[in-house]
Amino acid sequence: MAALLEARNLSKIYGSTIAVDGVSLSVQKGALFGLLGPNGSGKTTMIKMMTGQVRPTSGSATVLDLDVEKDPITVRERIGIIPEQETPPSFLSAEEYLHFVGAVREIPDIDERADWWFDFLEFKDKRDVLCKDLSRGTRQKLMFTQAFIHRPVLTVIDEPLINFDPIMQMKVKDFLQTYVKDGGTVFISTHILEIAEEICSDFAILHKGHLLYTGAIRDIGDEHLSEFFISRVGQDSHV
Amino acid sequence: MFELFTSMMKEEWRIHSTIFGSLSFALFPVMIAGIAFMSTFLLPLFGTVIPIQQLVLITHALFLLLGVMVGGFGLLGNEVMNRRFGQASLLAYSARTLPLSERFIFLNFVIKDTVYYFILWVFPFVAGFGIATPFLGISLLYPLLLLLTLTLTFLTGLAWVFLLSTIYARSKWVLTLAGLLLVVASGAAYLFFGVDLVRTFPPLALFNAFSPVVLLEALLLIIVPFAIAVQTFTTEQADATKRYPNRLTPLMKRLSFFPYPHLAAKDLLDLLRTGAAMGQTIFSFLLPLGLIWLFLSLIGSFLPHSALLLLFAILTGVLASTMYTWLTAFDTIGSYGCLPIAVRTIIFSKICTFSLLQVIPAVFLAIITITTGAGQYLPSVLVLGLAISFFGLSVTVYLTGLSPNVLIYDAKVLVTYLVSMAIVIVPLIILSFINPLYPLAAVLLLIPAGYLVRHSYPKWERADIEGF
Repeated sequence: MAALLEARNLSKIYGSTIAVDGVSLSVQKGALFGLLGPNGSGKTTMIKMMTGQVRPTSGSATVLDLDVEKDPITVRERIGIIPEQETPPSFLSAEEYLHFVGAVREIPDIDERADWWFDFLEFKDKRDVLCKDLSRGTRQKLMFTQAFIHRPVLTVIDEPLINFDPIMQMKVKDFLQTYVKDGGTVFISTHILEIAEEICSDFAILHKGHLLYTGAIRDIGDEHLSEFFISRVGQDSHV
Repeated sequence: MFELFTSMMKEEWRIHSTIFGSLSFALFPVMIAGIAFMSTFLLPLFGTVIPIQQLVLITHALFLLLGVMVGGFGLLGNEVMNRRFGQASLLAYSARTLPLSERFIFLNFVIKDTVYYFILWVFPFVAGFGIATPFLGISLLYPLLLLLTLTLTFLTGLAWVFLLSTIYARSKWVLTLAGLLLVVASGAAYLFFGVDLVRTFPPLALFNAFSPVVLLEALLLIIVPFAIAVQTFTTEQADATKRYPNRLTPLMKRLSFFPYPHLAAKDLLDLLRTGAAMGQTIFSFLLPLGLIWLFLSLIGSFLPHSALLLLFAILTGVLASTMYTWLTAFDTIGSYGCLPIAVRTIIFSKICTFSLLQVIPAVFLAIITITTGAGQYLPSVLVLGLAISFFGLSVTVYLTGLSPNVLIYDAKVLVTYLVSMAIVIVPLIILSFINPLYPLAAVLLLIPAGYLVRHSYPKWERADIEGF
């Protein structure tokens, strides 16, 4: 199977801090890949490098056969991204933001698509509220919408469910699984292991900027992902 | 609760020193002191052209302006807090989880900014002057007096704009009425009672002739508006029910002649909804320029009217170039990171929107030129003002990319900016004084401006921008 996303020896150094240290991994088409790691392990930096938001200090990444460093805009054109912290522009309403995204991504039927997402994620009543006045959960719904509204083949999500209530979490998990079944590929980063165990087909563990493990969920056998994760990270912490 | 103030001070320092590096930021006040030190040695030379009294007046005017500009932050009430701190876990925001009123936090925030800018600007300026005075045989009393009067001047500007801002936050009509009353009262005092408001400005009067009564007046001029401002301060609680119909789509259609109508429409909505379109125009443009015009007209007897007008056009151009910061201050640059938009596209689009905003200085300059009976100089005034503005914009874009509001406080960046501007401004001032038609040559500034902008694209494309 072809790798839709591939990182080769990616490193990022900020001053004297090594955020990511020579990480290589690949994500196959149709995978729901989870990048796991404790807080500060370099997950967000990895995502930013793989989506052309931050330049790597060394190494390279390809997404959909495109060199991310050489062609970050085309990469971002073709994929969807949900950042962990970034929020939609404060002074646009939710509806205006989706129209803005529609203009950037040249989506002709943005009205219909926006309506579908407002209904699906149940925030139609907030469509004319400024983004700065939206709750965290509603902002997350909006960011989720902007990432999928152009129907990308690959979506990269940093902490996908962190601001959703349990019912919305279930809905979104179902959506992601259906999306993958229909031919999409998802790359998520999370430190919530239960989510990864429930929905991911493959995973990698990142700790202190370096890769500890990568493989399929089924390969860890009967062991729970959380036990596997804690033992790997625990061993690495004592090295 | 002195802890809140000291923590805010530490936090402010750490933010700046993290962005610029401790040394680079620590050098900023040193640079201000250096400029003041060197300028002091030029005083005897300046004195042959302009009386020292006028220079004292101009210095006070500049610090009044500084106070006005720093005070302008209060304009948007908690919107400023949200914009500056909303997404960051900073003290001004997180302290709201403590049992402290928003007014108390805001008061601390204001005092912190006052002290911070005093350390950053006022004290270094006076220190530079003070170190130079013994070499010129000036009494050491003057630097001490100047420290007092400049501080009072700075605080007067801050307190009054803070008051006007809080009035603005409550009612734009009351602000307009207050502004009109102020203008009418000033005009009446001058016309009917012969009161020279500039000379009787208490901090300046204090510098010219120290007296406890005038000191008390100067203090009251700060304390009264400040106390009223704190009392009338409103936090403008976010109203969840406030609804906005989709104005982006129709605006995009109206701006279809722009290369990126969606980006231009977003910029304009940002300006309208933050109140910056009106607020910045009044507090960061018209008010400072009004003060500059007032003080320039005081030296009118030393210069021909055309030279005065062209000098004013240059200053207007410099101030107009800062309109670029209006477009970046309210934008969440990081939010573009998940979309296929290049940094160069955002910069280019902001330059286009900036060009649209240049209607404001153009109209302003035209009004001043025509109403002062100097319509024949209008082409020179407009070309000079706008060319300087676009040149200033290009220098700003090249040096600071999409972060002019923070990067300008990097001493290296500021020195480069000042030198670049001085290199073009000084010859243009000389040309203006020789012949009022010569400034038309300023149109040539568009060549280096275009060069700088073209080279800023790859420069900022290469940089990791926060959020990108």
